[in-house]
Amino acid sequence: MSMPKLFSMPRLFRKTLFGVFFLFGVIGVSTSLLSIYAVDTHLSKEYEANSKGIAKTIADASVNILLNSNLTALQSLIDQFIEIQGVSYIYITSETGEILAHTFVPGIPEEIKAGDVNSTTTVERSLPGMGDFIEVGSPILAGVAGTVRIGMDTGLIALKIQRAIGQQIYLICIIFVVGVFAAIWFVNYAAKPVDGLLNFAVGLAREQSSDGAKSQELLARNDEAGDLARLFLHFSRPTDGHGKGPQSGPDRSKE
Amino acid sequence: MTSATRRHVLQYGLAGCLMGLGSKSLGATTSSGVTDSEIVLGMSAAFSGPSRGLGIELYRGASAYFEHVNRQGGIAGRKVVLKTYDDGYQPDPAVKNTLTLMLEDEVFALFGYVGTPTVTRVLPMLKKFQERQIYLFFPFTGAQPQREPPYGPFAFNLRASYRQETAGLVQNFVNIGRRRIAVFYQADAYGRSGWAGVRQALKQYGEQIVGEATYRRGSKFTGVMRDQVEILKASRPDAVICIGAYAACAAFLRDAVDLGLQVPIANVSFVGSENLLNLITQGRDDGERYTALLVNSQVVPSYHDTSIPAVKQYQELMALYAPSAPQELLTESYTPFSHSFVSLEGFLDAKMMVEILGRLGETPERGALEDAVFSITEYDLGIGEAVSFGPERRQGLQKVYYTVVDEGRFVPLHNWQTRFA
Repeated sequence: MSMPKLFSMPRLFRKTLFGVFFLFGVIGVSTSLLSIYAVDTHLSKEYEANSKGIAKTIADASVNILLNSNLTALQSLIDQFIEIQGVSYIYITSETGEILAHTFVPGIPEEIKAGDVNSTTTVERSLPGMGDFIEVGSPILAGVAGTVRIGMDTGLIALKIQRAIGQQIYLICIIFVVGVFAAIWFVNYAAKPVDGLLNFAVGLAREQSSDGAKSQELLARNDEAGDLARLFLHFSRPTDGHGKGPQSGPDRSKE
Repeated sequence: MTSATRRHVLQYGLAGCLMGLGSKSLGATTSSGVTDSEIVLGMSAAFSGPSRGLGIELYRGASAYFEHVNRQGGIAGRKVVLKTYDDGYQPDPAVKNTLTLMLEDEVFALFGYVGTPTVTRVLPMLKKFQERQIYLFFPFTGAQPQREPPYGPFAFNLRASYRQETAGLVQNFVNIGRRRIAVFYQADAYGRSGWAGVRQALKQYGEQIVGEATYRRGSKFTGVMRDQVEILKASRPDAVICIGAYAACAAFLRDAVDLGLQVPIANVSFVGSENLLNLITQGRDDGERYTALLVNSQVVPSYHDTSIPAVKQYQELMALYAPSAPQELLTESYTPFSHSFVSLEGFLDAKMMVEILGRLGETPERGALEDAVFSITEYDLGIGEAVSFGPERRQGLQKVYYTVVDEGRFVPLHNWQTRFA
């Protein structure tokens, strides 16, 4: 189906077609926005919950190590957790706030040093040269032995959201393209009898014969186009000498 | 696993099967890893990557002595075979190699592992398979985990610890008035071990680490350490102690001197002094500018001092056998040193190991290893320091040596005041 044919479509149906597009666009955009919100909220909560789980695991595993002052083993422990996707940094503080083990390179950022390193609340951090993070904490031995804090890369959440939205947009685009072709086809299908009716009416106005195959096909239709064609034919016949109209009106019995 | 390593494993595996069949038919097997003709030790170390010089040199030193013993008839007629795998100084391959050595190769004991991050991950496996009584002998690391519970009982150390090395460095710096000490370290268990040693030593003088900067394990000499230098410069240190491997420490030293950080820069023994010196001076006419304030602690005496019997023997055997790296594990080019602190340590490790194996008698068994080690008291290894082991003493040597670069080579440091004041 070509574009010129689309634009040769009756004006009445063009409006309908554009109405369909508009409605489709509104549905697509609103669904996408809702989806973004749902994915963002869901993934962020899941991310935070996972981070807290990791922090608690490290905190539980650190108790004996910290009490034995074995900082080498403590570092070895957090080095294993830093390999988990999304975990960007880990640091462990003593009960006095001294950072005893960490994974920062080339050094501990000033923002971390200046912050409340023994806090266990979740905070959002932006570290220069490193990126944006959600930082969660977990107390070690109820906080009397220290605190574990983990920085999770929010860029990874953004990437996951982008990926989820991208997949949705991809699906919507496919539905849109199929929908457009389907709408054009249906509108053209609906517009075809109207086009024939118009040609029929013009033919009658020019007093051309209505015996052609296309005219007969139109007159044989049992829908509104057929009714109108028969009505046009009825009115186009000459009146009798008594000033009465055509001898017979449109046949509604076929409806 | 590389194809070379696979070939190596297949070769040894086939040989092991044949030996196993042979020994079974003779009914002479005494313990896993021991046949009528061989005692097999397993070694996982860095033979590739930026720290490959450490594994290669340690292996070469040990090979020289084992070769010497084997040519003289071995231990009670059995040759010592060192079965090697490459871990690239990475924990996960080290763990896999250890599993292979323990469960498939069934070596008699583990020997000469390289590095703290690798060894700290291997130790729990020794505990897991403790019923097999496989011990780790003389790892090339001074970290605490293999010296303390819960994993101390599964390892024996020959060298002094990082705690002793860093304590000595701090003490000497403080003695000459350099109390503001910063630390440059590898961001892993090894770096933390040294950092903790410096922190503990400074506490005794009422001081704290004034600044710290880190680098990632596996950093190369071509990498830039300017950020680390700037961080440490901002803390205005009187001295910097580095806990790293030679490639990264050489890069730090280069950038520190170039950026005007004119304070003594110390390294611990693990650094691989000759590799570091080679990197920092090669292709330069002004090498002295970079080494003037360099001081490295060592856990073995100077390999130039032939008045020490073991050093004399080391030089002779290294020249006689010219041991090479295990060719099947080499994936990158490497030019070995005729002598080095690391290969001397490997040599002494092998000498101590042979003494222990010799004390097992005609039928070596793993179960008797611990008693054989503990029977060593005041043993003369030939370096002027007696070696003793015991249930509460799982480290044979305690002495730390300090060296500086003069005329392009490391020599003993006798006067800190004159050199660094």
